[in-house]
Amino acid sequence: MTTIDHSKALDAIVLKDEVERFFNVEAQLLDERRFDEWLDLLHEDVRYWMPIARNVRFDQPEHEYTRAHGEANWFDEGKDILRKRVQQIQGGDHWAEEPRSRTTHLVANVNVEQSDGPDIGVKSRFVVCAYRLEHDVDLFIGKRFDVLRRENGKLKVWRRTIYLDQSVLLSRNLTTFF
Amino acid sequence: MKASDLIDVDAGTLSRESFASEEIFQKEIERVFAPAWSFVGHTSQLSRSGDFFLSRVGPEQVIVTRDQQGAIHILLNSCRHRGMPVCRYDKGNAADFICSYHGWAYGLDGALTGVPKFKERYQGRLEREKWGLIQARVCVFYGSIWATFDDALPSFEDYLGADMQFYLRSLLQGPDGEDDGYEVIGGIVKWQVPCNWKFGAENFAGDHYHGYSHISVERLSVGLSGTKSRHNFAGAKTPSQAMFVADPKRGHTIRASVYKTLPGYDPQAASEEVNDYYRACHEKRQKRLGDQSRLLIRGGVIFPNTHFNSAGRTMIGIWLPLSASRTEVWRWLFVPRNAPVAVKDTLREYYLRYAGPAGMVEQDDMENWTAAQMGTQGLVSRKYPFNYQLAMGLERHATADEWLGNEVSITEDVTEHNQRAFYAHWARLIAGGS
Repeated sequence: MTTIDHSKALDAIVLKDEVERFFNVEAQLLDERRFDEWLDLLHEDVRYWMPIARNVRFDQPEHEYTRAHGEANWFDEGKDILRKRVQQIQGGDHWAEEPRSRTTHLVANVNVEQSDGPDIGVKSRFVVCAYRLEHDVDLFIGKRFDVLRRENGKLKVWRRTIYLDQSVLLSRNLTTFF
Repeated sequence: MKASDLIDVDAGTLSRESFASEEIFQKEIERVFAPAWSFVGHTSQLSRSGDFFLSRVGPEQVIVTRDQQGAIHILLNSCRHRGMPVCRYDKGNAADFICSYHGWAYGLDGALTGVPKFKERYQGRLEREKWGLIQARVCVFYGSIWATFDDALPSFEDYLGADMQFYLRSLLQGPDGEDDGYEVIGGIVKWQVPCNWKFGAENFAGDHYHGYSHISVERLSVGLSGTKSRHNFAGAKTPSQAMFVADPKRGHTIRASVYKTLPGYDPQAASEEVNDYYRACHEKRQKRLGDQSRLLIRGGVIFPNTHFNSAGRTMIGIWLPLSASRTEVWRWLFVPRNAPVAVKDTLREYYLRYAGPAGMVEQDDMENWTAAQMGTQGLVSRKYPFNYQLAMGLERHATADEWLGNEVSITEDVTEHNQRAFYAHWARLIAGGS
């Protein structure tokens, strides 16, 4: 007869709840355009990576997305550049975000894959809707793989990998964060 | 339709119909895109026999291949039986392409090599040599690959003309001045913009008037130094003259700077390793090219839709016309072939934050072109032409340095001279001229 290790199960539930609440706060900060507070949730050494999807054979999954380092990506950067992107939006002179866009970030299917020392690997799905001006609708759907790192008791995003399902980007701009 | 219905060369104005009318768009496909050489990719994307990638020639999808003998082919990606694309993978390595509909098979050179039921139902009489994939003419120019389906068009070299051959060759020289000095980094960046393709083309052709579009990135400094401007040459101390070069007969345009004296090396990057590389290249280039190393190409357009950015960020792209009001953009990013990994990576990160839909610089271009497209939609707005009068009448046809060109016209400092030349040639073609 197998027995459930209640203590372990409870730990897993508590951790998943903590991770989900972290993602929800992140989404809320982005949608409320509180970008400085969102930056605070990123580790100083964060790597923010969104590769470009390709159409490949069934047996070549390794070529389906461009590689980090060495290949073209939508994003492959650290906190210094993310900070500049925030400063660009906050200046009133970044025309692609003037007037301001309205975004809604949904994060779903959250699965804590591994919890290893201070690092927690999490897979999830995202839907990001960005509406701007009168008629513009951008819909971004895909998968995310995050590694969250606990620092002084607080979770921070240490690695963020964003797999967008589009190959040709059907939107003119990627001015939102994921 | 006469050219003067669209453009008033003397007044420096262009009808907004040029960007809005689907009728003009159809004429563009026939009269501007069909009789043109187009950039399709780079030899570094085909390092081995059997390598292939998909590209476009205007609205046509093509497969660019390297066959077993090493020859490059550009094949219309459309089965001769029912028109299916015979290759639907963005890139790869293959021995042949088999249509997924009825199974016709083609070799890397486009030859029809396999037909199901060839003996039984075609009685062995199908003339396979006549039913290969349609082939484009191919030209490899210092590593860049160009194509056209127009048999009557002059050679690519004549299409460029002697002056543009010089500029394009120069663009493809590595930072050390070596010919064919670049390689493509993996992944072609592709996106769509809801505007006419010519907004992009005229911007790359020579619009240095649009500094206001980019005040946010000038404020933030996104160049390699991280402290100054969005450009890498912003730290150069030697005085230079901005120069806008147009070939009025062919529609090609270049924007460049020419240093007044041979420049010394002024550090561009934050990292010592990157500066060391560029300093060594700077010296090698001056030795190799002498006086001509005063030239700094900043970008341009090979008519009609091949565009490039240079001056420390080498990217080549194509505007693909989807409709009068929608364009797909493909962009290849280049790094110096012989550079250390640290240099390649530094450049790559710079390109990613600069260009394309995630680029902090080009995002504002795309937003502005999309908004300009809206200004071509209403019947009232369409009555009023766009203004291209900036620095009109200041162009000249002789240059201080003969090597800067003989058939071109040149204007120094900010101007819309290149746009005027681009549109004059475009309107001539739309009207049925050449």
